[in-house]
Parts: sequence; C-alpha cells; structure tokens
Amino acid sequence: MSEAIVVKNLVYRYGELTAVNDISFNVGRGEVLGFLGPNGAGKSTTIKMLTGQMRPHEGEAILLGMDITKQTKQVQAQIGVSFEATNLYEQMSGVENLKLFARLFGVKDFKAEALLERVGLAERGRDKVERYSKGMKQRLMVARSLVNRPQILFLDEPTEGLDPTSAAAIRRIVEEERERGATIFLTTHDMLEADKLADRVAFINQGKIVALDRPAVLKQAYGQRKVLVEVLTAEGETEKREITLDEADTPAQMEKLFANEKVVTVHSEEATLEDIFIEITGRRLVG
Amino acid sequence: MSLDLIWTLVCKDIVLYFRNPFFAFVTVIGVVAYVAIYFVMPDSVDERLDIGLYGPSLPAALAAEFEEGGIVFHRKESTRDLRQGIVSDEYEVGVFWPDLGAAVANDEPVVVELIFANDFPTDMREAYQLMFQEIALGVLGQPLLIEATEEVLGPDMAGQQIPLRERLVPLMVIFILMTEMLGVASLISGEVEAGTIRALLVTPLRVEGFFVAKAVMSVGLAFGQAMIILVAVGGVGERPLPLIATILCGAILVTGIGFMVGSVARDMMSVMAWGMVFMIVLSIPLTTLLMPGLLGPWIQVLPTYYLADTMHQLSNFEAGWSDVSGNLLILLVYSVVFLGVGMVALRRKFQ
Repeated sequence: MSEAIVVKNLVYRYGELTAVNDISFNVGRGEVLGFLGPNGAGKSTTIKMLTGQMRPHEGEAILLGMDITKQTKQVQAQIGVSFEATNLYEQMSGVENLKLFARLFGVKDFKAEALLERVGLAERGRDKVERYSKGMKQRLMVARSLVNRPQILFLDEPTEGLDPTSAAAIRRIVEEERERGATIFLTTHDMLEADKLADRVAFINQGKIVALDRPAVLKQAYGQRKVLVEVLTAEGETEKREITLDEADTPAQMEKLFANEKVVTVHSEEATLEDIFIEITGRRLVG
Repeated sequence: MSLDLIWTLVCKDIVLYFRNPFFAFVTVIGVVAYVAIYFVMPDSVDERLDIGLYGPSLPAALAAEFEEGGIVFHRKESTRDLRQGIVSDEYEVGVFWPDLGAAVANDEPVVVELIFANDFPTDMREAYQLMFQEIALGVLGQPLLIEATEEVLGPDMAGQQIPLRERLVPLMVIFILMTEMLGVASLISGEVEAGTIRALLVTPLRVEGFFVAKAVMSVGLAFGQAMIILVAVGGVGERPLPLIATILCGAILVTGIGFMVGSVARDMMSVMAWGMVFMIVLSIPLTTLLMPGLLGPWIQVLPTYYLADTMHQLSNFEAGWSDVSGNLLILLVYSVVFLGVGMVALRRKFQ
C-alpha cells in the first residue's frame, strides 16, 4: 500500500505552548486512521497543518506525494475537509452550498441531489441551512467534503453531539468512502466509533503521538482479556466472577468455576480503546 | 488567479448580500428614498424678496431696478394692511415709506419705518436697514457714509446658485457609496465569524482570489447603486466619463475602507460601530456641499473631500477633465492606497 500521507517531525507552537510536538506517522492509501486524543491534545492543529490551513514551524507533511506547504492548492484540490465547527452558508440552501463548492473545485456535471441523497438530506435540499438541525448541518458538512470525490478525506469530530440517526449516516458514508478507495483521517472522541471504523488508531496526548497501531494490536499489547461469569448462589441470587485470560492458572480457574458453581452466563470482555488510552496517558479522552 | 473562481464567489456574495434583510432593505430603500428626496426638493433657487410697502410710491425707475434684482414690492393702503401682510406670511418685512420730498422741503427728519416678523433674524434686519438707507440715498441724492467690506468664503460662486436638490446629488451618491462600505465589511466579518472563510480556503481558491472577489462585488454594487441614482435623477449630464471615473474611484475607496473595517470588526455589531466611526469622519467634507466655506482647508486631508468636491464640480458646474484632473488623481491615489492597506489588514487577520 503506497502512502497517502507522510508526516515527519511536525511541530507547531502557539507562543510558548508546543501544540504539536515532533510527530511522525504515515497513512496508507485507502486506509482509515483514527486520530484520538482529548481536547487540546493537538488533533485540530494537526489537521490544520495537513490541510494547508496553517504552516508547520518544523517538519514536513507530504500528501499524495506533494509537500503541503509548497503545493498547497494542488493538494487541496484533491482533499475534502469536514470541520469540527459548523461553517456553512446558512442563508443558502443545501443544494446551493454544495453547488458553490463544486464550482470552486471545478467539478463538471455535479449532481447535488445525488450527494444529498447519500447523506439523507434529499428532502431538505432546497431549504435554507439555517433551518437545519445540528445533525443535518453536520451531514451537509460531510457531503460538502465529498463534492470533489477527494482522495483524502479529513473528518474532524464528524459525529460529536449528533443524534444516533445522523451519526449512523456519517459512519455509513465513511464506510462507502473507504470502499471507494479514499484515505480517511478521522478525529473523534468516540472510542467505539474509532474501533469500528478505523484500520489503525493514533493516540495523541499533549502534542505527541503516544501509540499508533491497529485497535486489535493495541488491545493485545495494553489490555487484559477477561471472562465475566454470572453464577447463581445458594440464596438464589446472581453474583459476578471475573477471570483474567492468558494467565497460567486460567484453565484451572475456569474448570473449578464450572465444577463448583452454577454458571448462568459467560461473557468474554476485552479492553476498550478508552481503557488503553487511560493506561498509556493516565487521562481520559473525554472530560 | 482563476476568473471562474472569482466569478463564483462574486455571484455567491451578491446572493448573500440581498438575502441579508438589513442590507437588502437599506440598499433598495436607500436608492428609492434618495431619488424620492431629490424630486421632492425644489428644482430652482428662490431668490425673490417679498417686501410690503405702504407710502408714496418709489420713483418708477428705481422700483423697476429693484424688481429686476428680485425684490417684489407689495403695495398696501394702510399701516394696518402692511402689518397684516406680515402676520399672514405674505412677506416678512414691511416698510412705511414717507414722502421724502415733502419731508426734505419741510426740513423734517426722514424716518423710514421697517416692520419685521418676530422671528426675522437680527443680522438680516441690519441688512434691510442698510438697503433702505441706500434706497433713500438714491432718492435724495445725498451721499451716506456707509462703508461695506465683502469677504467671500471658499470659491466665489456668485451668480451660479444651485438648487438644493442638485446640491444634494453628490451627497446622496457618496452616502450610497459609504453604505456599501458597511456592506462589504459585514460580508467579510460574516465569513470570518461563521468560519466559511476556512472552508473556502481549503479549496483551490487562493486568498488573493477571495480578496479580488470581495473587491469586485463591493465596487460593482457601490458603483451600480450610485449610477442608478445618478441616472434616475438625470445627473449624468453631458460629460459622463469624468463622473463615471470619479464614482469608480469612490467605489474603490469605500471598498478599501470596508476591508479595513472588516479586518478590525469581529461581528455585525462591531462592523456597525467601526463603520459609523469611519462614516462620521468621512462625512465631514460633505458639509461643504451644503454650506460652502464652512470648513477650513484641513478637510483636504480626508479622501472624501476629493470625492465630494469633484462630484460637485462635475454635477453642478459642468466641469470637465481638465478642471477635476488634480482632484481625481489624488482621489485615485487615496483609493488605491486604502484598498491596498485594507487587503494587507485582512490578510494579517486571516493568517
């Protein structure tokens, strides 16, 4: 898999504060990278540098074989960006918003209605955006980022604060774009979303990438696999037992449990990305 | 810089401008109101003086001379009628004119009685006293020791009186231009406030293209509205080119100032606040259109002086290129400088 994004030693400072501190990573073509971190960790600053909105103070970012600081407009012609904060033309309709950006990207024969259909806004395409709900606006933002069929799609917290229907619509779009072959750079607070959508996840904390790998590998490396067992006591009540897997006495513990107790339910449980993030950084992703 | 991209943004901005209820209202109502005001204003200068007169008639030749000068005497049959004419607003000054010949023959003092309305200005009362002393001198043939000095403030436009509505035309055009300054500042501030500028600048559109599009839209709207007013009131005249050039420079000037306002303002309210500061300062030279000579030469440091003065010369005194070329050059320099400064200020803000 050739690389869509190559980041080397990227640094950005706001005065004395180093927001992004010497980060390096690659994202392959067609790959979905989940970029996870708490507020202020440096996620948005990284996206701004990768999309040419800000120039890095040090390091370089190569997108699609081009240096973003030197060939900014050539790169921007081939990427799509969905921002964290809503930034649509509220006095224009959904169709008008999409057509405007299609013209800016020079897209010929653009079908706004078809794109709106994909994000579930076909019925409201002629309404002014100011009348949209937050979820509808977010879906329109994602649709706008797709008008040029981008090779790299940057989605900054696309599902934050959305209703389940809107969040599901956006996840479906991410899946479709991955199938199309687009590279997706996804920042999110939602661990389950990242776990489900991302091929690899990067944890960023205080401007540094502290872990980057496939979710399964991270869970294997940092998490503990467990089995949760519910047993029925003599008093007729249920109690929970927890057995850690992958230890020397695990088989003996399991055997003893089934021999001596009346087992009601058995569930395997693996560490979540949230657990792993806490283990690595000592802080939570949200809050 | 792609013309397609710029045109796309210009179209978008025009749509947004007219979907902003405030600016749509101000633009349409402004143009209509200014044109309406023009046609409501008197189309001629009323220089006639109506004076009530009771007493022996003035010598016919002298009366005729005064009437040619715009004085109309209303002859009355009694002092009661003379006073009644003032009360009923037929005239503001009544004169009881004695028989000068009889008075002189009888060696009696000559008393010309002037009766004024109670709100008649004091300075004007003195002027009338002087005028009738002159008349008495003419009739009696005796010299009066009156010395008068005349000071003309500003260019001497004696004999070139302009109806108020014609005097208002440059004023209206400049106000329309300055309104557009608020419009462009508001559009820029709105792009920054809503974050749409960020979305635009991650497309192939360059920041220079964004500025050019805003400038084209603003200059076009300002120029278009100003020309609509001029055409509607028949103010284009026989030499339209210098007038068009002046309005174009004015449109560029207000666009530059609009950029500056947009660079310092954070939202619609601060656009209004900063815009008003600029508008008040830039409006100062416009007072000279209504009251020539009111302000000293210091107003020439303000760019709108050259806009107002040039338009005034072109609209009201049939001036041509040669008469206004100096003004126009200074105005052009001001316009380009303000546009440049405005763009630099905006660029700094976006970076």
